[in-house]
Amino acid sequence: MRALVVEDDKDLNRQLVGALADAGFAVDAAADGEEGYFLGDTEPYDVVILDIGLPKMDGISILEQWRRSDRKMPVILLTARDRWSDKVTGMDAGADDYLAKPFHMEELLARVRAQVRRASGHVKSEIECGPLRLDTKSARVTCEGLPVKLTSHEFRLLAYLMHHNGRVVSRTELVEHLYDQDFDRDSNTIEVFIGRLRKKIPGDVIQTVRGLGYRMSHGPDEA
Amino acid sequence: MRLNSLALRLFATSAAWTLLVLPLAGYIIYSLYREDVQLSFDAQLKKLLTQITIDSMSTTGDTPVMPPNLYEPLFEVTQSGWYWQIRPIDGAPGRTLVSPSLATAVLPSPYDRKFPTDDTGTRWMNVPGPTGTTIRILEFIDSPGHDPANTKYSIIVAGPLDWFEETIARFRTRLTTALALVGLGLLGVTVFQVRFGLLPLHRIERGLASIRSGEAERLEGQLPAEIEPLQTELNALIESNQDIIDRARTQVGNLAHALKTPLAVITNEARDDETTLGSKVAEQAQLMRDQISHYLDRARIAARAGVIGRVTPLEQTAQSLVRAVERIHGEKGIALVVTIQPGAKFQGEKQDLEEMLGNLLDNACKWGKSRVYLTATIETLQASSQRKQLRIAVEDDGPGLSVEQRAKIGKRGMRLDETKPGSGLGLSIVSDLAASYRGRLTLEASEHGGLKAVLGLPAA
Repeated sequence: MRALVVEDDKDLNRQLVGALADAGFAVDAAADGEEGYFLGDTEPYDVVILDIGLPKMDGISILEQWRRSDRKMPVILLTARDRWSDKVTGMDAGADDYLAKPFHMEELLARVRAQVRRASGHVKSEIECGPLRLDTKSARVTCEGLPVKLTSHEFRLLAYLMHHNGRVVSRTELVEHLYDQDFDRDSNTIEVFIGRLRKKIPGDVIQTVRGLGYRMSHGPDEA
Repeated sequence: MRLNSLALRLFATSAAWTLLVLPLAGYIIYSLYREDVQLSFDAQLKKLLTQITIDSMSTTGDTPVMPPNLYEPLFEVTQSGWYWQIRPIDGAPGRTLVSPSLATAVLPSPYDRKFPTDDTGTRWMNVPGPTGTTIRILEFIDSPGHDPANTKYSIIVAGPLDWFEETIARFRTRLTTALALVGLGLLGVTVFQVRFGLLPLHRIERGLASIRSGEAERLEGQLPAEIEPLQTELNALIESNQDIIDRARTQVGNLAHALKTPLAVITNEARDDETTLGSKVAEQAQLMRDQISHYLDRARIAARAGVIGRVTPLEQTAQSLVRAVERIHGEKGIALVVTIQPGAKFQGEKQDLEEMLGNLLDNACKWGKSRVYLTATIETLQASSQRKQLRIAVEDDGPGLSVEQRAKIGKRGMRLDETKPGSGLGLSIVSDLAASYRGRLTLEASEHGGLKAVLGLPAA
């Protein structure tokens, strides 16, 4: 899962990036409106944390421009302006959620997870896939009730596949959504992580679709 | 008309002028007329006197001749008031001639009473006549044959003054009536003039009323040149008033933003720090956060109080709020049932309505199980049929509150369930905002099972 943080306050930006990275996201950060807009417009993020008061270009304009050019990723607005009129303006501009500063990091993370889940069409906070169960709230994976120990890269890969279970996910898509923009994108690393994952969970859960990518065998229709 | 009013001033000055000028004009006209009538009356008497003098004295002897009496038919009618009389003066012997109208009466002589003569040698005198009514007497002293050596005779002609007075009195009555009517007419015109002249002021009054009630944002319409500057200044005042408020709002917002970001940083750092200092800082930061939002909200209410009103249509505002709330609580899949009476308008700021409704809807969505109801109706207050009230009810089908809880919850910062996110200031700010509009928030039990929050607000 890739997340974008657009926040001009250095400390808060660092805290947000840290917290999201800890929660298993590949995080890009922007400190001003123009950079944030450019990143969101070109990179495929799964969630964006967008401050409204930004230098160079304000959050609402950025959001409106993204939506106008059909960028549909979930966007959580972050602002000190917590009046309902501000919230309505934000929501009307196309935001998916709205969080007023100061906030608790746990609440932000809960909302980020909720948005990611909703964007991939899941209603409940737990995603099931055959024997596997992903608790998006606690970021934990269990297999037939037993916890599965995963590294952060493995978790990200599995979580992305589970969020999009039932459809084929290409290697390029995986690379785009799992690593931040500075990562060396060699698609072989994906295959290495798939190999490691298959050792930790029942091997047939992740299927290789030749020439196209990977698919979770137990989609929502089959489960 | 009030004592201290422009209308009264204009009316009073105009009325005073009319009341001063009309009697004066009446007096002048009356005097002129009277003089004119008097002159022509005197001229007639003088003419008769001259005729009779010539006819009676144009003789060769020492005895006057009986004048032919053709001058005035009323000389023939007894006691008609028109008389003539020819008598020798100073009791000298001689013939006395009188008009038939005089009968046996004798007219007094101004000569006897030492009246002076005018420049034509005539004496004038007003005395009671034989019948008691006043007559005007003219006397000329002459001798038969106009020979001063002959016996001097007093030739007297008299005419009735009561006739003259009657004519004058009649004229005076008519003049007074006419002038009184003119006066009334003028006063009427003045009233109209004042009313018509002050009409634009009433327009301004109505315009200001509609600004205050929020129907208009500025004073519209073409006003007369004299009060156009007033209109311009009023509009400028209204605009600058609005500017000040907008600026105050912006500053408050800026302050909030400036304070809240560092506060967010402090909170997050402190929560990662597991020492007592960390938890103390986190706790105090939370307090600061609550205080900031509390006082910022109060500042916003204060900035708005007494502001010239605006009107906010309920339907639109509610719809975009409902969209926002639905998205924020999309997770729970709560259905919002919105019923708004068409034409419902709130007399006040859109932002404040959004704040009140937003908080209530947010609360309802936090606690509701599957449905939240928003119902708005326009009610006419019984006390005064003019004022209308907007009744907005927000209900949920959640667990609801007991009577004691409902009494407690309005207090600032009071939160009944600490596990649900929110500063706990939601309801108190709604209550304060409603109060600033002379409205109120009441909490009841909903028939759907949960809490029913009812807002009574001024309708436009």
